[in-house]
Order: sequence, then structure tokens, then C-alpha cells
Amino acid sequence: MILPLADVPAPEIDYRELSPIMATVGGSIVVLMVGLLRSPFARRTLVPALTAVTLLAAIGLTIWIWEPGDREPIIVRALAMDTLTLGVSILFFVSGLVTIVLSLRSDAPREAGHGEYYSLLLGTITGMVVLAGAENLITLFVGLELLSIPLYVLCATELRRRTSLESGLKYLIIGSVGSATLLYGLALIYGAAGSTQFSGIETAIGERVGLSDPLLLTGIALAATGLAFKASVAPFHQWTPDVYQGAPTPITAFMAVATKAAAFAVFLRLFDSTLGLSQLQWAPALAALATATIVIGNVGAIAQRSLKRLLAWSGVAQAGYLLAGVVVASELGLRATAFYLAVYLLMNAAAFAVVVARERVSEHGDDLASLELLGRTQPWLAWPMTIAMLSLAGFPATAGFIGKFYLIDASVAGDYTWLGIVIVVGSVVSLVYYLRVVAVMWMGRYEVELPGLPRRRVKPVAGWSPEADARAQPEVAAVAIVFAAATIAFGLAPDPLFDAARDVGTALSNLR
Amino acid sequence: MDVVWFLVLSAFIFCIGAAGVIVRRDPLVILLCLELMLNGGNLALIAFARMHGGEAGQIFALIVMVIAACEVTIGLGMIVAMYRNRLRIDVDEMSELRG
Amino acid sequence: MSATSYGWLVLAFPLAGLFVTSFGWRVLPGRLPGWLASAAIGLAFLASIGALVQLQDLPAEERSVVDSAWTYVGTAGVGADLAILVDPLSVFMCLVVSGVSFLIHVYSVAYMASDRGYARYFAYLNYFVFSMLLLVLAANFVLLIVGWAFVGAASYLLISFWYRRTTATYAGIKAFVMNVIGDVGLLIAAFLLLNETGSLGYAGVFEGAEDAFTRNDGTLVAACLLILVGAFAKSAQLPLHTWLPDAMEGPTPVSALIHAATMVTAGVYLIARTHPLFELAPTAADIGAIIGALTLFFAATVALAVTDLKRIIAYSTISQIGYMVLGVSVAAYGAGLFHLMTHAFFKALLFMGAGSVIGAMAGLQDIDRMGGFRRAMPFTFVTFTAGALALAAFPLTAGFFSKDEILAFTINRGGWYWALAIVGYVAAGLTAFYAFRMVFRVFYGDPVPEARELEEGHLAHGEPQNPMSGEPEDADVGFPGPEHHIAERSWPMKAAMGPLALLALVAGVVQIPGVTDVIEHFLEPTFEDSRFHDTAPTEGSELIGLVVGGLLAIAAIAVAFTVYLRRPGTADRLRERFAGVHAFLFNKWYFDELYDAVFVRPTATAGSFGRRVVETDFVQGFIVGGATGLVRAGTSFARAIQTGYLRAYALLLLLGLAGLALYFLIASS
Repeated sequence: MILPLADVPAPEIDYRELSPIMATVGGSIVVLMVGLLRSPFARRTLVPALTAVTLLAAIGLTIWIWEPGDREPIIVRALAMDTLTLGVSILFFVSGLVTIVLSLRSDAPREAGHGEYYSLLLGTITGMVVLAGAENLITLFVGLELLSIPLYVLCATELRRRTSLESGLKYLIIGSVGSATLLYGLALIYGAAGSTQFSGIETAIGERVGLSDPLLLTGIALAATGLAFKASVAPFHQWTPDVYQGAPTPITAFMAVATKAAAFAVFLRLFDSTLGLSQLQWAPALAALATATIVIGNVGAIAQRSLKRLLAWSGVAQAGYLLAGVVVASELGLRATAFYLAVYLLMNAAAFAVVVARERVSEHGDDLASLELLGRTQPWLAWPMTIAMLSLAGFPATAGFIGKFYLIDASVAGDYTWLGIVIVVGSVVSLVYYLRVVAVMWMGRYEVELPGLPRRRVKPVAGWSPEADARAQPEVAAVAIVFAAATIAFGLAPDPLFDAARDVGTALSNLR
Repeated sequence: MDVVWFLVLSAFIFCIGAAGVIVRRDPLVILLCLELMLNGGNLALIAFARMHGGEAGQIFALIVMVIAACEVTIGLGMIVAMYRNRLRIDVDEMSELRG
Repeated sequence: MSATSYGWLVLAFPLAGLFVTSFGWRVLPGRLPGWLASAAIGLAFLASIGALVQLQDLPAEERSVVDSAWTYVGTAGVGADLAILVDPLSVFMCLVVSGVSFLIHVYSVAYMASDRGYARYFAYLNYFVFSMLLLVLAANFVLLIVGWAFVGAASYLLISFWYRRTTATYAGIKAFVMNVIGDVGLLIAAFLLLNETGSLGYAGVFEGAEDAFTRNDGTLVAACLLILVGAFAKSAQLPLHTWLPDAMEGPTPVSALIHAATMVTAGVYLIARTHPLFELAPTAADIGAIIGALTLFFAATVALAVTDLKRIIAYSTISQIGYMVLGVSVAAYGAGLFHLMTHAFFKALLFMGAGSVIGAMAGLQDIDRMGGFRRAMPFTFVTFTAGALALAAFPLTAGFFSKDEILAFTINRGGWYWALAIVGYVAAGLTAFYAFRMVFRVFYGDPVPEARELEEGHLAHGEPQNPMSGEPEDADVGFPGPEHHIAERSWPMKAAMGPLALLALVAGVVQIPGVTDVIEHFLEPTFEDSRFHDTAPTEGSELIGLVVGGLLAIAAIAVAFTVYLRRPGTADRLRERFAGVHAFLFNKWYFDELYDAVFVRPTATAGSFGRRVVETDFVQGFIVGGATGLVRAGTSFARAIQTGYLRAYALLLLLGLAGLALYFLIASS
């Protein structure tokens, strides 16, 4: 039977609230098309410029539709463009901009094709926005895959470098295992609750489904696994160091921040809000995961010589800190998580910018040795790195300190004092490797004794070439300086971020 | 027929896929095993859709199929890239990144 | 400009001076850093006057202005802003601090002229003044603690200024450790208050305390006692006083500025600032009063016996601060702060005079070796005597009005406060006695060789030596320079001492009971919420107190005159007769020995035990070794499981999933 087109009911679409997503999707298509042009100018200059314009427009639109409060989901209740979504979206867009700047002189876009590279970047950002705003299990899965699949490709874009391919394929396979697990978990939650809508699930729990319904809890466990994988929470973290090290560094910088933010946004929405009633069931498990993550991340980072690996392990540890904000399932936790994600963007962008700048000109690649005596030769890079490291370690007067303080505050207020203590202990341990980076930069030749393993020969990761030495990279240094300055600025005057975090906190109204 | 049997079957398929990912070394076979895992999820979705009525579960399953196809395409593309770089098509060979 | 704008200026000038002197020391020639630093403080003083004028223009009930430069962590509601509070109390303190500091800067320009650490010295000094003004102007406990810690650090830097002198560095460390005890007390107190009142700003805490606490509430008393610990550590009150006499290792102007006039009175300021809390917790206030009384008596007796000129004045400082603490603890805020002001004048003056004399003695500080400087240094003699008169509370001098007002107030509280007042009067007699013991021993009698040489126009040049240990010293960087024997030759020194002498003699007129009462009226807006207005003494009783105090001072000076001048052998005979008492006093009541026996030696014993057994075997072997071993093992483990094999990762992922699912299934049943 063929229905006349007019008989198919079209969903109501609020185009105003949908506009950021439309911007990134449209930008992605346009960029792909422009990338097909023959002119080198169009490919090398116009494509990144258009991508940047797209992201700036998306930021503008996001700010335009920013409105605190628990917003009604749009498009048959499948997508919520509330402050939580919009807040993390701004983080995605900003990390996207950082990635563009860091990619300008990279090999990756040249090898993969400029149009494809930047189009995929916009695609994965679209997926992140969809994922963060998902109010439906289907939207959630679509968003997750839209995020993941372009990233798999982006990791492998340096097609001629073996480790890039390795990281892409590893990410693809392990990521697909995670996706399949998540899917199975979502299916079980759907089976238990009888609805794919988050609101339907929320009303079903406690009414039609018992809090300790095995089907529901197994579903939660599987879904938690899938999301924990994306957020690189132990023991689902193992892909993180390998993929981060192998991927082109601008993409690593993007993944480190944006993927994490997206995963935590959906963590917050699905667990704290939709499954909030069964918090007593899932919170101890997540708290245990957070502890394991903090321990493993910090311990794993100690013995790293590769800066990208070190930052990957530190990212694992930071995911543990962030998970504490999810565990408590309170508005304070939501605010603290959002705040920390923003801070995390600042300090990671600064750190990765320095890594990018160094690995292009240093014969040591991304090895710790590439930073030796940087304080004397290039203080404009050494200072941002120092600030980023101190902030990641949670030194006072940096934004990282306030972020960590906020998370600990949320843990204590949510009756998870011991988790707050774990965060503090973890931060102390993390000083070992963060300060080592600082020491290498300022104290010069610093023979790092690493426990356990002998010194490994480290190959340059990016395409190092002698003529690269001559290449000045003002834009990379600028990123490092701007974000390091922001780290300090928000450490001294965190109020704007606090206000934004408070707005984000209003997004999920059913929290404590 | 009780929905439980569908669930048991879907769990079997999922586990077979997972076991395949763990024991096989050929990336092509691993991609097939991933398909199995996803289809395990699909079967569960469709069974629940029958149980609850409504179209959501079936739509979900359809979308998953599309996504699975995308994933396999990307995977094949990477395998081709490896082949072009004259790398051994064996996941255990890809262990340069470690530690 | 508003009062708060002036308040910010008060802070800005010393900070600017700090930066100019510390970064410009290479390029600034000669004495310029000193003059720049002095100018900075002078400008701060002018700004304080500006703030005063602006404040007086406001109606009395609005004379408390808070201004935030920036709000830190505002959304979290803690209220730890960078905010200053300009009210009569803070302006009063600013005036005293910046005014006296300015004179001492000027004095230092000459005194430190030949020191090779000249610019460093002024950078430290400006840093100190900035910190002190920050402490005074802070509008919340956070900033107060910042200033509090800053002045502690400045004090440490300046005591150890001659850093190659071991005794100086030890004294610096001692002072720092004692001060940190106080910092910790203050920090915990602030935390308690934040916990109970939900605020850190003064206004918020005082308002919140009214609601949160009942009278003598346990938590509040604890908080107040911790505040007292902070105040006592900084103000060298029993039992945390031992660092102050040792702090005399610093250059003499430092002793005058930090360890007599300003920093050590911070405790008094703190008690006055938090008086709403102390009035809610009278038990804590009483403890403060008792300790103040004990301290003032104890230190006065010790000052009778010690022979080191600077240490006599140091003990005298401890004693006089005891009066102030007693005053603010019995709610005689105006009187206590008035005494703070007059004390700043005459004590700074006494130190400057002592510095002059010590200079003439080529660094010797023992008064047994001095004598007859009256004709050799007439200017110093006159000004020093003016200071001594004020210290002795000789009628109509500044100290006379301020000290006796405190005691009159104490008597008027009635009850057992009488006892405290009697202790105060006894100690006042002792004070007058030791003040003139200094004058008579140093300036009268037969001129010592140094004095005679000075009369003939030669300056004594001894070998540079450590006044404490008598060891010979270099005159290089990190030691006193070769020319610290400038006596009173230099005009900046006289220019600083003259005004202070004048103030020491006549500053009392601003606060003659029933006649002028300027200070009392000026400070009234800050203290109008006090519950003890009705216990203020009547003018009549104050006048009686003045008469008693004046008679005591004259009598004590007369006794000193008899003992030291009319019958010169008396002192020695007394010393022989009461050898035990003298030894007891001379050894400062054996406080250092007591500490040594009670704290230091057991700690040292425990320490050596700890080092041998606990440290080596337990801590290093077990805990540190264990922890590093654990981390080491963990690192190896984390790296070992990071095999790089994709299939192993998938396995761990699925194992983790299985564990998680299992947990949930167990939890569900």
C-alpha cells in the first residue's frame, strides 16, 4: 500500500533550537564539496576557513538559543537542546576550532584529503551534539555512532604511518565492541521499561519495573560499560593510550576533550536523570569504577616517556575524577562535572598545542626529551605547558584546582566523602609525572628513571623533517598561550564559568 | 513463544561474536564477529518490540543495521589501507603501541 | 575619591615600592632605593589621611565601607573576595602603621647606608608594610590570613636579613615556627566560623554569629581561643613569646618597626576587630585578659634583670602588648588601641635611640659596658629620655594617659578584674623602674671609652662581631656592613627620631579623659555595638587612676635614681642579696629552658629514636618503600597489561563488563 505523502505525519521541528546541528551538518557537506575543488587555495585555505566559520556560527547559534531550565525535548521528544547539551556543545565547537588550528600544518589533512578530513571533523562534532542531547535510546545510539565512526577514520588519516593505522583499527574494533555492548544494554533497558524515550523509562522505573529488576540492571551494566568505554573509564580504558599515541596529535587533542565531554554528558543525562531513581543500585558500582580509574590512570602515567601517552593516562585518571560528579547524582555534581569539563578543555588544549609544536620540530617526536630545556629556548611554549601541567595536577590559582575542589565538594555533599579522599590522593600521586614534565622543561637534561622498564627507543611520531625546524608555528604557540592564559584567568576569577555551570545545573530538573 | 527464548538466543549470538573478537586474529573475521554482536542486540530489540508492541524497537533495529554497515565499510577501508602499506593483515601484528 | 579608593591607594603605594626596589636594584643608584621606598610609604600615609578625611565626611553609622576589587568564588557563596574594609579601626591602624613606618624608613636610609644588601632591605621593608596594611584593611578572614602569613614571612626575612650570621638565621626560623603555630590557629578558627556562620567576611561572620551561637557556645569559645592563639603568637604573649627577644637579631630599625611598633600589635588589632565574637564568648575574652595580665607582669620583671639593651626593650614590648591585650580583652577597645598608638611612638623611638647607642658602641649591646653617653650624644639622650618617660607613664606624657586608661577600665569591670588591675599597677611601677634603669645606666655615670672618643669626635671602630656570640664577622654581603657605627651623625636618623620624641611626649593630649577623647570618639562607630559601654569608667575614676599611675611612675623613677645614681653600689648589693631571684629573672623565668626540657629535648630524643627506628626501618623501609614499591608494582602492572594486543583489550573489556553485570545481578537479588 502506498500512502500519499501528505498522509505521513511529519514531526514538529523547532528549527531555532535545531540550528547548531543544522549548521554543523550543512558545514560538513559544504566543506566536503569545496574539498573536491582543484585549486590548492580552496583545499588548503578555504576548507579550514569554512570549517572554522561553521564552528563559530554554531557557537553563535548555541549562545543564541541558550536558555536555562529543564527544556522540552524537540523533534518528537528525541533531542533536548537544554543548557547541558549546549554547554558541552560549546566545548565541542571550541575543541574543534583548536583542532583546526593545530591541523593547519599537519600531514593528516594532506594525506586524507582536506575536504574529507574537515568534513569528518564536523561530522563527529555533530554526533557529539546529538549524543549529548539524546532523549531517546535510538538518538543516543545514533549520536554515539555518528561520533565514533568519523573518529575511527580520523585516527587513521596519516595513512602512510603504521601506528596511525594501528590506532585507527584498534579504535574501530574495540570501539565497536563497546558499541555493541552499549546496544545490547540499551535493548535490555528498552525491554525492561517498554519505551525508548528517556521520559518513558523514567516513569516506568519504580512503577511498572522494580528498582532491582534483573533485566533493567543488566541493561544498566551493559550501557554503563559502553559509555565508560567512550569516557575511558577503567577497566575499559585500554584503548586510550594506544589510540591517543597513534592518532595524529590534533585529533588526539580533540578526542581527549570532546569525546570525554560527550560521554559524560550522556552519562549525566542517562544515569543521573533517567535512571536516577535506581541510583542506590548503580552508584556503588560506578564509584568503584571511578576509584579503579583514578588508581590505574595515575599509576599508568608514571612510567610514560611519550607525552601523548602520558596525557592519555592522565586523561584516564581525570575521567575517574569526573565520574565522581556522576556518582553523586546531584545538581552540585552536575555543575561540578560541567565545570571540570570546561576546565579540562582549557588545560588539555594548551598541553596538546605544545606537544604539537614540539613533535614537529624535535627529533625526539613526542618523547619527554623533546621538552628538554624548553624553558630557556622557547619560554612561550614552556610556560603554557607548565601552567597546563600544574592545572592538571590541581595547583591553587589554576582553574584545575577550582575544578577539582568543586568535584570534591560535590562528592562530600553527596555522601561520597571517601571518593573525595581518593581524588585527593590521586592528585598527589599525579604530581609525580606532571612535575616531571615541568622539571624536564626548566631543569634541562633530566635523565628520567622510570620504574619497571628500561629506556625505550622512541620513534618520532609525526613526520619529522629537518626542514620542519625552520617552520615557525605561531598559530600553535598562540593556542598554547591563549588556553594557558585562560587556565590562569579562570583560576583567579572563576565566576563566569561558575555561572555557566549553574545554568547547566538547571538542565536536569529532577536532581537532588 | 516466550520472549525469554529470544533473549537466550540473542545472548548466545552476542557471546559468540564476543568470543570471536577475542580468539580470531584476522581483522576481516573480527569484523564479522562484531556484526554478530550487533545482531545479537538487534534480535533482542525486535523480540522486545514484539513483546511491547509499538514500532520503536523495530526502527531501532533498522537503524542499527545501517550503522553496522557503516562500521564494516570503515573497517574494510582500513584493511585495504594496511594492505597497500604491505602490512600483515593480522591484529596481533598491530602491537607496536603498547606499555 | 571615596574612602575605599584611598584604601586601595594605601595598599598600592607600598606594593609599587616593593616592585620598584626589588626589580630596579641593579639600575637604581646609591641611596635611591631607600628614598623611593620611603616615598612610597609616605604616600601611603598621605592616602591614609585621605581615607580618614573621606570617612569623617560620612555620617557616623555609615563609616564602614567594604569594597571588592574582585569576587573570588562568589557563586559558591564563601565570600572570599579581594575586599577591603575601610572603617575607623582600619584607618586608625593604617595611619599608625604607615606613619611610623615612614619615619623608620627614613631612619633606615641612614642606618643601612653602608650595607651591601641596601636595596634588598628596602624591598623587604616595603613588602612588610604592604602585608601589614593588607592585614589591617582586609574585609574577610581569608585576606586577613593572607596578610597575617605575609607579615610572618616578612618578619622572617628581616630577622634573618644578615643571613650569614647563624644566630640571625636561627632566630628567624624560631620566629617563623612560632608564627606558623598562630597561623594554623587562625586558619582553624576561620574554618570553624565559616562552618557555623556560612561566611568569611567580617560582617557576615559577626551577623551570623549572633544567630548561630548562644552566649559562651562551645564552638565559639573554641574559635575565639584559636584566634587568641593566632594573636598571641604574633604578639608574643605567654607562652608563645620566646621568639621576640631573639628577633632582635635583625637590624635595629627592623626591631623598631616590626618587633615593636607594628607587626607585634597585630594580635591586639585582631582581638579588637573580632570583638563581637569575644563579647559573645566572655570566657575566651577573660582568658585573653588573664594571659595579658600575666604577660605584662612577667615581661616587666624580666626586663629588670637582663642586660642586653635591645632585649630590655624587647621584653618591655612584650609587657606593653600585654597591657593592650588586657585592654581589648576587657572591652577597653579605645584605650587599648590608644596605647597601641602611643606605644608605637615611644617604642620605635627607644629602639632608634638604642640603635644609635649600639652604633656608638661598635655593635655591643650589653648595658654593663655602657655609660656616660649623655654628653657624647645629646640628641639621642634627649629623645631616648623622652621615650623612657612615655614608657614609664610619667605624668602628661603619651604613655601616661593610655596605660592608665586601660587600668581604669579594668578596675571598673569590677569583680576579680580588680586583681588584674593591681597586677597592672605593680608592673607599671616596674616599668618605670627598668625604663630609667636604661637611661641611668647608658647615659649617666662615668663615660666609657667609646663615649669619650665620641665626645672628641672619633667614632668607635671595633672589629665587626656578632653581639650575641662575640664571634668575629665579615663585613660582606649577608653580614652587617662595616659602617654600622654611625651613632647620631646622620640627619635622616635625627629627622626620624625628633618627631617621634615629640609625639611620645605630647600625643597623649588627644585623649585626655573628659577633655579631648579624640581617639575614643573616632573609633566609636566601630565599637558602638559593644555590650560594655556602661562599664566604661567615669571621668572621676579615670582621673583618680591617672593620679595613682602618675605617683607610681614618679616613685619608681625616684627609686631607680637612688639605686643607680645616688648610691651606685645598691644594684650590685641587691643582686647579691637576692641572687636566686636575680638568676630567675635574668634567665627569663627559665622559659627557654622549660621549652627546651618540655618540648625540644623530648622531641629531639623522640626524633633521634624516630630517625633510627621509625624513619629508617618503618617509614623508609615499610611506608615509603611500600608506597613507592606499590606504585612501582602498579606501574609495571599497568604497563604489563597494556600489551598492545587488541584481543587482550577486548578480553579485559568483556571481563570488566561481566564483573559489572555480575555485581548488578547480585545487587538485584
